Amino acid sequence: MAEYKAPLKDIRFVMNEVFEAEKLWGSLAGTKETVDMETADAILEEAGKITASLIAPLSREGDEEGCHFDDGKVTVPTGYRDAYKTFAEGGWSGLTGNPDYEGMGMPKMLGAQYEEMLYSADVSFGLYVCLTSGAALAIDAHATEELKQKYLPKMYSGEWTGAMDLTEPHAGTDLGMIRTKAEPNSDGSFSITGTKIFITGGENDLTDNIIHLVLAKLPDAPEGSRGISLFLVPRNHVDDNGVVGENNNVTCGSIEHKMGIKASGTCVMNFDGAQGWLVGEVNKGLAAMFTMMNYERLSVGIQGFAAAERSYQNAVEYALDRIQGRSPSGAVLKDKAADPIIVHPDVRRMLLTMKAFTEGSRAFSTYVARFLDISKFSDDAEQKQHAEAMVALMTPIAKAYMTDRALDSCIAGQQIFGGHGYIREWGQEQLVRDTRITQIYEGTNGVQAMDLLGRKIVSNGGKLFELFASEVSNFIDEESDNEAMAPYLGPLAASVERLSDATEFVLNASKDDASEVGAAAAEYLDMFGLTTYGYMWARMVKAAAPKAESDDFYAGKLNTARFFFSRLLPRTVSLLESIKSGSQDLMAMADAQF
Amino acid sequence: MPEFKAPLRDIKFVMNEVLDSEKHYQSIGASDASPDMVDAIIGEGAKFCEEVLAPLNQIGDQEGCTLTEDGVTTPKGFKEAYQQYVEGGWPSMNAPVEHGGQGLPESLNIILSELIGTANWSWGMYPGLSHGARATLEEHGTPEQQETYLTKLVSGEWTGTMCLTEPQCGSDLGILTTKAEPNADGSYNITGTKIFISAGEHDMVDNIVHIVLARLPGAPEGTKGISLFIVPKHLPDANGNAGERNAVTCGSIEHKMGIHGNATCVMNFDGAKGWLIGPENKGLNCMFTFMNVARIGTSIQGLAAAEGSFQGALAYAKERLAMRSLSGPKNPDGKADPIIVHPDVRRMLLTQKAIAEGSRAMIYFAAQQADLVQHGEGDVQKEADDLLGFLTPILKAFCTEAGYEAANHGVQVFGGHGFIQEWGMEQIVRDTRIALLYEGTTGIQALDLLGRKILMSQGASLRNFTKIVHKFCQEHEGNDDMKAFIEPLAKLNKEWGDITMKIGMTAMQNRDEVGAASVDFLMYSGYICLAYFWARMVDTANAKLAEGTSEQDFYKAKIQTAKFYFDRILPRTAAHAQMIAAGGDSIMAMDEEHFAF
Repeated sequence: MAEYKAPLKDIRFVMNEVFEAEKLWGSLAGTKETVDMETADAILEEAGKITASLIAPLSREGDEEGCHFDDGKVTVPTGYRDAYKTFAEGGWSGLTGNPDYEGMGMPKMLGAQYEEMLYSADVSFGLYVCLTSGAALAIDAHATEELKQKYLPKMYSGEWTGAMDLTEPHAGTDLGMIRTKAEPNSDGSFSITGTKIFITGGENDLTDNIIHLVLAKLPDAPEGSRGISLFLVPRNHVDDNGVVGENNNVTCGSIEHKMGIKASGTCVMNFDGAQGWLVGEVNKGLAAMFTMMNYERLSVGIQGFAAAERSYQNAVEYALDRIQGRSPSGAVLKDKAADPIIVHPDVRRMLLTMKAFTEGSRAFSTYVARFLDISKFSDDAEQKQHAEAMVALMTPIAKAYMTDRALDSCIAGQQIFGGHGYIREWGQEQLVRDTRITQIYEGTNGVQAMDLLGRKIVSNGGKLFELFASEVSNFIDEESDNEAMAPYLGPLAASVERLSDATEFVLNASKDDASEVGAAAAEYLDMFGLTTYGYMWARMVKAAAPKAESDDFYAGKLNTARFFFSRLLPRTVSLLESIKSGSQDLMAMADAQF
Repeated sequence: MPEFKAPLRDIKFVMNEVLDSEKHYQSIGASDASPDMVDAIIGEGAKFCEEVLAPLNQIGDQEGCTLTEDGVTTPKGFKEAYQQYVEGGWPSMNAPVEHGGQGLPESLNIILSELIGTANWSWGMYPGLSHGARATLEEHGTPEQQETYLTKLVSGEWTGTMCLTEPQCGSDLGILTTKAEPNADGSYNITGTKIFISAGEHDMVDNIVHIVLARLPGAPEGTKGISLFIVPKHLPDANGNAGERNAVTCGSIEHKMGIHGNATCVMNFDGAKGWLIGPENKGLNCMFTFMNVARIGTSIQGLAAAEGSFQGALAYAKERLAMRSLSGPKNPDGKADPIIVHPDVRRMLLTQKAIAEGSRAMIYFAAQQADLVQHGEGDVQKEADDLLGFLTPILKAFCTEAGYEAANHGVQVFGGHGFIQEWGMEQIVRDTRIALLYEGTTGIQALDLLGRKILMSQGASLRNFTKIVHKFCQEHEGNDDMKAFIEPLAKLNKEWGDITMKIGMTAMQNRDEVGAASVDFLMYSGYICLAYFWARMVDTANAKLAEGTSEQDFYKAKIQTAKFYFDRILPRTAAHAQMIAAGGDSIMAMDEEHFAF
């Protein structure tokens, strides 16, 4: 496995040159006083260092060793505890946390880059940290002042970790069916009873307390998703001085044996009358979760392409090093027995596919993070509203499209290694296994596709699509005189046109066919993702073109853009055709006929 | 773990109704393969796979193989299952009678391989790997070598391997370095290290016969200087039994993503005694004689993955309750509807089904060609050989790529449970991943198809197949029931030739164009082949429905699945065609040093 090297050059390119972070931060009410470029740059530099030197070396062993469960206790792999201690001391868990409670208050646009590096280094390790940040986010947004004071500083400092407890054995996608109960106590707290499964980091020996955010139902709650409330349930009681006490009837029943992320404990959690506190309003638990969900879903998307970045780095090194066969256009290394495999067109095709999707994802996640920041830090109502709409539209794409392409990329990265890709010590197959979960958790990619097409597009008559389409067509108009952009604007416009065609088709067909949305959803999300990446690549070309002659990095960008437009974007043609076949083929088959 | 049930109904549909195996077997003089006999064999094989092999599949994954001083220990139950397999006479089924076999056609063995592979791929590799050794001995062995080794391989008393790959060479065998030094007695001393040797060492039998690729002193460089040697783990004693230990040892076994139940070995040959088989320096040519059948064997792994994961996903989708159908509750008494009501779940299930059943038809068709190559004569044999040569890379690469996609859908249908080992769905993904790598990666197959098979024959091998498709389309012209299938198929069949011609033209200017187009071209070709076989299945189903049948649902489902395939999957050809047309510029332009900064 190649040593991980944080892709700081590309990160800076995206942040500074494509999306002009400095200009944005200087313009937003919530960031202009707190964030400056120097700090941001130092944070990136440090994140690159600590993830590469401290975390990345843990991932291979962590996979082999996995987590161990014994009598309710979960032991993380060797080396994790020390690394976690060092890492937490750096304050990383609180990087984007609220400064009022000792967070560092950095924008998500920066946080997204750090998360990428962390996940590239080791997905399993990153989950402990990022879930803590996620839980803190929900607490910050919805909990009482008292709870915030008590829990946030210790979560930001990494002294305690956090976990999200949603799923139950019979209720995953359909949270309306959960059964965990919350009985009110006389002191205003609640007694929580029930079993939760698939709880990432639900129990671990990294810290002396774990703060669970638990979905449960009050005794008189309405049925379904409208009767769910959110509770903060610490594993161990915490007294008024913040001292950790006895176990709070929160125990881990077992851990799962999984395909990947083996160093991240996936726990069955039992709550036996555990004391918890309401977060947000009664029966509004799902809504409270949604604030956080946008961040979490972006985070899972980042997790995906971060693994793909690692796989790409390994694959490039291997392709330059491994000699096998001769270049079809004549030997390159005449004094060696064979040429490096990077001379072979198909190997290059795989590498470029990985590069185009991974760098496209980096730009895209930064683009989405930018809207999250605007919606959080702007004091301009109109700007805020627009950003919120873009976040709503882009979140399912960020989660599903980034992870789908990430898995493809990791598989390609494995393929480049030939037989060695199948062998554990090389690390490429681990990245495939670790990434496979990203298509499933935080709402499967099928659920994301339904969210996109059903909730975000069809339910408002395609308004959000128009919002995106007009942004792209403005860009195309603005660049119409830019010669460097000429080869890209045509295919980009055609792709938006196809997406528009698909949108219109579904809007019409879904009027009298309830199955239409579900039938088109997956392909529609794919199309939308590709088109968005087309837009990202066009923006990268715009930023790179002026410097392409003097700097190979920018020349490489243009080459990759050409590849994306000629060899990847055409997929939209097929997707449109599939969508237009309607729902009949999916629904006609009787269950018994399968 | 999904329960494996042999898909006997569909197997019979493809064999008997679509491919008319009775007539086929008569034509090759396989009088033993009467319909009753075939039925009985498949029925028995299914029972063995369902009852003996399938229950060992998860154990094999969890336990894996272990290497000690005594060699490799296979997972609990594997050895006993192998004993049963040998006692049942299964290894000898397709072997020639003169070597102690039953002389049944290869195509029948392919069906058995499918069943074994779906039930437990790792286990199936132990007897499966004997194929190469057996084929080499059958084709190129001296009568004495055949007597010594082949009979024992046929009976299953011993197993075999093919030792090709070395640490520095996988796809490029021309750079292998294992040496063969001649001894005075006509034998050779073989020295070198081979890696990735499946079933190279294990505890199921008392001898393992390795066929090793090595170089003679003074052999020409590259692929033209490779010879084949028989190197047994134990030298046969005077009675032909496993005797003295030969200097061939397993140095280590790999820790892999999947197929944990099968030992992937590093084999060290330290002056091991071996015997030349076939002519000197013609080793690679000798291997090509059976490569087609070996690659069909690997393509079955894609079919097995699609079938196995489909069975698991379907059962789960009917049982798991989550959310309501958007067109109104389908299970009003339950808290939610079974997830099979959701269009996107159906999309995944239908994709799996279309891939599994389509691949089955394609593979069984190719297996019949293999029969004709083996037993046919004259033009019939030659045509079959050409056709098989053309189809082999498509089967190997396309069926495994598609099968891998299907296996991933299987995980997705299970949601979070799909990621958990006990449910067995993720194991199918891990086990299947290797199929895209071994026996020539997808990229290698794609070059074989486009470069060696099609362009080197000036398109003749493609035309052999497109003619078949064309004839089928013509026969059904004007048939309203077939219109929805024949029209797109005929159009693509023509486009296929046009695209190939264009690639041929650009490749004359620039050799890199072949590699730049190859994988897209292979996938494009695969989708068209699958469309042809789905159209044939529709034709058969139409006929059955017209005749009147009690199995209305079965045949209607065939037509429905074909419609799904044509409407939702086949359009992928459009994207591949565009990507091919875009050419290799954007692939080749990038400087090596610009891939990463």
